Amino acid sequence: MTPRFHPLTLLAAAAAVLAITTAASSWPVSLMVAAGAVALAAATGSARRVLLAGGAILAPFWLSLLVIHGLFYPEGRTVLLGFGPARVTAEGIGFALDMGLRTSAFVLVTMLFSFSVRVPELVAALNSRRLPPQFGYVLASTLMLAPIIAARLQKVRQAQESRGLVVEKGLRSRLNAIRLQMVPLVLGLVHDAGTRAQALDARGFRRPGPRSSYREVSDSMGQRGFRFCALLLAAAAVVLRIMASYPGGQS
Amino acid sequence: MSQPSLTLPTPGQQAGRRRRLLELLGAAAITATFVFLVLTQPADIAGGLGSVSALVALGGFLLGAVLLIVAVLPTLPTSTVVLMPVALVLNIVLGQLMGTSGLPFYFDAIGTVLIAVLAGPAAGAATGALSSIVWSFINPTVLPFAAGAALIGFLAGTAARYGLFRRFYLAPVAGFVTGIVAGVVSAPIAAFVFGGTSGAGTGAIVSAFRAMGDTLLAAITKQALISDPMDKAIVFAIAAMLVYALPRRTTFQFPFVRRFNVLAGKAPAQRGA
Repeated sequence: MTPRFHPLTLLAAAAAVLAITTAASSWPVSLMVAAGAVALAAATGSARRVLLAGGAILAPFWLSLLVIHGLFYPEGRTVLLGFGPARVTAEGIGFALDMGLRTSAFVLVTMLFSFSVRVPELVAALNSRRLPPQFGYVLASTLMLAPIIAARLQKVRQAQESRGLVVEKGLRSRLNAIRLQMVPLVLGLVHDAGTRAQALDARGFRRPGPRSSYREVSDSMGQRGFRFCALLLAAAAVVLRIMASYPGGQS
Repeated sequence: MSQPSLTLPTPGQQAGRRRRLLELLGAAAITATFVFLVLTQPADIAGGLGSVSALVALGGFLLGAVLLIVAVLPTLPTSTVVLMPVALVLNIVLGQLMGTSGLPFYFDAIGTVLIAVLAGPAAGAATGALSSIVWSFINPTVLPFAAGAALIGFLAGTAARYGLFRRFYLAPVAGFVTGIVAGVVSAPIAAFVFGGTSGAGTGAIVSAFRAMGDTLLAAITKQALISDPMDKAIVFAIAAMLVYALPRRTTFQFPFVRRFNVLAGKAPAQRGA
């Protein structure tokens, strides 16, 4: 593994890059940031996962953007192609590219963050920053529960199938099958949650005050300084953009 | 479920007041952001002003959502906090499923509504906001919609508080109204931050309105007014069905259900156990 960073350093870096990209709002910057995120992912060895997950989100988004702005952009003046009510305008394509690249940068940077941060470390770091401990619990527990719930759904389906559940083509049969699986699943999960609540309560889950943690997250002066600078840069970019957009108070 | 501890002192009044303040600040941040976005609606979305709107939308709505979470979470009983991850997984799994289906619906709030009905508006709002934040680890595009999701949870809890979940036919009506409000609040995010919607089905509806010459915000708001009320009506009906299926012993563990008689019916007979 490459040198390990404090999770909040990663978070601050991602947030600063996103704020600056949004403030700049120009496609070359967005393209550079998106390419940078992919390059960084390649360097840390998660390029495949980042690209796969990002692509699954971005493909339908780009499609929808191109349909909306590529074909219908009433503000557009330079008509490239026209058929009936739909006309392809240069402005429309430009706007779609602008927005698409900005969102691509947003998605890729966030994906890179979520693949490189370790959730237990992030939770430990957040807990030591006066955030309510329940927040860390919900975050970590959701990401861990997902596979457990998937396995449980599998079990419920098998049980119902052994009792004669057959999914046929019709909508009615399908809805009924969903109901037969959803209800036992949710009932079981809610019941489990009750048991878990008692166990947690017995261990002082709701007590206020500082918590001790098994996990020590290493931090350094350099990283602290980096976080400070990143947030300062982001704030500066936002202020610059607002000042540039409202020259002399008129909008 | 969770009884106050008998040995340790309970947290003081001051902490409660600070949380109340945070809650109000969060709600104020969300409202102010929305008012700003609608009032300063940039005429030329491709210009520099679009970027300021995106920044304000992202910053204001996220700040509001985080403030709400920080204010509400410590006040919730453990039974509710423990149920949240379950609700979040339900939201995410169903939402991902629907997002890939191409239909103009979302179905990403069933868990939020479930919590709101069992534990009240504050818990619902926190669940909605948390749902967006946690989901953004898998799909970052939902992160900016945190405030809208919080609003859905809050409205669902309010509907439950005033008895709209006592009859099965009233739940979809409450969902319909919630959908209208949520759609109007979420539309500026889709317009200014993303410049469009992320699904193929919703995208087709937006382009139809654009073809008639609407501005982007107007087109997306109209699309939201078509999709959201229907979507939320179905989601509320499903959540109602699930809550009715829960055994009384489970639902009456929640103080909110007992206090406001959310589900119409008497408490289970008090027996020794």
